[in-house]
Amino acid sequence: MAYLLCAGLVACSTDTPDHSAKVFDQSYPAQPGGTLISAMPSDPSSMIGMVAGESASLAIGSYLFNSLLKYDQNLDLAGELAESWQVADDKKTITFKLKPGLQWADGKPLTSADILFTWQLITDENTHSPYASDYQLVTKAEAPDAHTFIVHYSQPFAPALESWASLQVLPKHKLAGQDIRTTSFAQKPLGSNYYQLKEWRHGEYIKLEKNPKSVLGSANIDHLIERIIPDTAAQFLELMADNIDSMSMDPITYARIIPSRPALQARLNQFKELGNSYTYLGFNLKRKPFDDVRVRKAINYAIDKQEIIDGVYLGLGITIASPYKPGTRWSNPDLIPYTFDPAKAKQLLAEAGFEDTNGDGVVDRDGKKLSFEILTNLGNKQREKTAVIIQRRLKEVGIETHIRTLEWASLLTNFIKPGDFDAVVMGWGLGLDPDQYNIWHSSQQKPGQFNFIGYNNPAVDKLLEQGRLEFDPEKRMQIYHEFAEVLYEDSPLVYLSAGYGLTAIHKRVQGIMNPVPPAGVSYDSQKWYIPQPLRRTQIQAE
Amino acid sequence: MLAYLIRRVLWMIPMLIGISLISFFIMHLAPGDITSSEAAFDPKSSEESRQKLRELYHLDKPIIVQYGLWLERMVHLDFGHSFASHQKPVFWAETDKEGNTTPGMIQEALPITLLMNITGLMLTLILAVPLGVVAAKKYGRWPDRSITLFNFIGFSIPGFWLSLLLMYWLGVIHPWFPISGLHSLNYAQLDFWQKCQDLLMHLFLPVVIPAITGLAGVTMFIKNGMLDVLSQDYVTTARAKGLSDRTVTYRHALRNALLPLITLIGLSLPGLIGGSVIAETIFAIPGMGKLFYEAVMMRDFPVVMGILTIGSALTLAGNLLADLAYAWADPRLRKGVIPQR
Repeated sequence: MAYLLCAGLVACSTDTPDHSAKVFDQSYPAQPGGTLISAMPSDPSSMIGMVAGESASLAIGSYLFNSLLKYDQNLDLAGELAESWQVADDKKTITFKLKPGLQWADGKPLTSADILFTWQLITDENTHSPYASDYQLVTKAEAPDAHTFIVHYSQPFAPALESWASLQVLPKHKLAGQDIRTTSFAQKPLGSNYYQLKEWRHGEYIKLEKNPKSVLGSANIDHLIERIIPDTAAQFLELMADNIDSMSMDPITYARIIPSRPALQARLNQFKELGNSYTYLGFNLKRKPFDDVRVRKAINYAIDKQEIIDGVYLGLGITIASPYKPGTRWSNPDLIPYTFDPAKAKQLLAEAGFEDTNGDGVVDRDGKKLSFEILTNLGNKQREKTAVIIQRRLKEVGIETHIRTLEWASLLTNFIKPGDFDAVVMGWGLGLDPDQYNIWHSSQQKPGQFNFIGYNNPAVDKLLEQGRLEFDPEKRMQIYHEFAEVLYEDSPLVYLSAGYGLTAIHKRVQGIMNPVPPAGVSYDSQKWYIPQPLRRTQIQAE
Repeated sequence: MLAYLIRRVLWMIPMLIGISLISFFIMHLAPGDITSSEAAFDPKSSEESRQKLRELYHLDKPIIVQYGLWLERMVHLDFGHSFASHQKPVFWAETDKEGNTTPGMIQEALPITLLMNITGLMLTLILAVPLGVVAAKKYGRWPDRSITLFNFIGFSIPGFWLSLLLMYWLGVIHPWFPISGLHSLNYAQLDFWQKCQDLLMHLFLPVVIPAITGLAGVTMFIKNGMLDVLSQDYVTTARAKGLSDRTVTYRHALRNALLPLITLIGLSLPGLIGGSVIAETIFAIPGMGKLFYEAVMMRDFPVVMGILTIGSALTLAGNLLADLAYAWADPRLRKGVIPQR
């Protein structure tokens, strides 16, 4: 509502052309200095992301800390702190060799002892890290010398490499002997990456400044400021007033508001990138009639996914046929998303024994109407609208649905966890590793686990187990392509869409990769720069 | 009077325990706990670690046991630590062995909210009293009609709508005031007076807008009170004695008309402490309203209970003050009614 009002205000106002716009369209050589101000919706709870377990902490932490490995712009693994890594022939041991001359922002050397310490910290019972499980599979970790870090697993575990790209390495000399859950390090961290914390005014802003001892070289921009602005309408007003340089947007701002405002268009670059997440309609496979593949497929054919993308996301999304980001090696290019085909849907329903015997417009079988409830979480307007569009399309093929929106914790605790639901409209955000054991393996169905739809297919189980043992990317790719094919045929859920991440960045920020690489717009952001003539004078005084 | 005061203060203890008990149970009636927040629905996190977290926070124990543990801590005035915000102290700052101080969450948020809401209330009263008096004195004539019209508008404008409108006009089109936040980014470099000015500029919109929307109600309240009083016999007597219109209006009538306002202020105290979620969210102000809302959504029980307890204590204290102010303002209460309560 607030957002619509803001959009209305903008649309009503007269638009004076911004004469300084021409300056922003010039290209300048890269030069260090300047301040970049962004907005984020919530304050991180801590700077130690692996303990905090929420995205804001992990995001800020990524400016401060390094990992052993990272993903390059094409989402292939590359070294960050590690110069090289080697998987032993039995695939149970990984040996990392660190780059020479690594150091923390305070000048102390960064060695394999720090990495060993971080691993011990994350797997320690008292740390209570939500992400400990992957690291607990390590049977033994050792740091035989300052440059070598070795991990042993009891059996091959291919997602291990991804896990070492996620672990933000913490300094042993600052944290040893401290209680990780209460340490003031969480408020005053010391890292090794491009930036270090300068000031954190809780709930207001976080100021980062360039770390002159950064292990990866120097970033161009001197200061990064993250302002905490929860309301998107307020964020957008700040962007219009030139008080912030970048924000994440929703489709309306991206596709309607900014293009209609020449003054804004002259100052802002807009970026869109396919996110690593998708929205789906998931069925409770333990309930009738969802145990019948014909019914699931009928529903899949009855829903017009493009209509949802156009109507809800203003066209800023794509249809998908596998649970992987299209364009990456893990996504099976041979699979074509289920088309919109109501006739086929009706035919499949008839095959499954569903007919409208009493003429009320709803198909039935054994005297029971095909009617079910779709749950989704309150506050996510896009999912609510999606559910409404699905309801309309399903009605056309004779399926009756009722939509129910619930507050998040209530949805999880009362319905998802005990498995008390018919169907849900939800989304999965995925890691960059293709392993989806936790979501699809039949062993992951206990309350609180993630295969809550109750999917059980021995073929998929076997493929997921194989995928975890295979380190060779080509062979892994084959396994996950096959996995996606089985899922496609089984249709345990309806893939609705993969949406774009939308960002506006002020044109004063230059050096941004365009087109956006698969790794996302912020990839290599240390190379961004703000030319001298385009900097804000107020901040420059700092 | 002293005995009354002591009795009232002692009564606050069982009242507080009662409030905390009800709050604790109602809070736990809501489904879910800290481990069911959105961030926890991540396939990389495991149910075992969430279960261990529940054990750590005693969330696996029966509610009555959890309440007992909470009450035991409260006896020592220990408000505990936040579940969601990296174990930050809920109420007051703590210093660790190395001498690093972590500020308390309520300690940080409460002064901001109090400053904002008390300034807003003062502003409302400063504007509402003269407007109410004028409307009553000129009842039925154009000043009264324009004030009534203004009140209607004030009643019907949604606060968030006015906020966005003014943020746009006074922040973007004419950049006179900051749009959001409480401090400028260069706040640390400013001298004392510049800091004060910076804070005032940031507070202007978040204070003025709720004051405008709240003005309508208080103006009507004062107008009706004045109309009541002006028709009383003692006002007629005062006029008959030849006292000036000014003396009659301001010394005799207004003072009596303001008496119910003390009750109104007393009733608005919880709002002053609890803050306003909408205003604080729109203006990105880290006050009590936002803190409370986020704590409830995250099921951060120690923070919710901390805010409720401190809020209840301050509200009870505020009500006591309002009663004392009432007694001070009305000699009849002071002399007769109070001891019989």
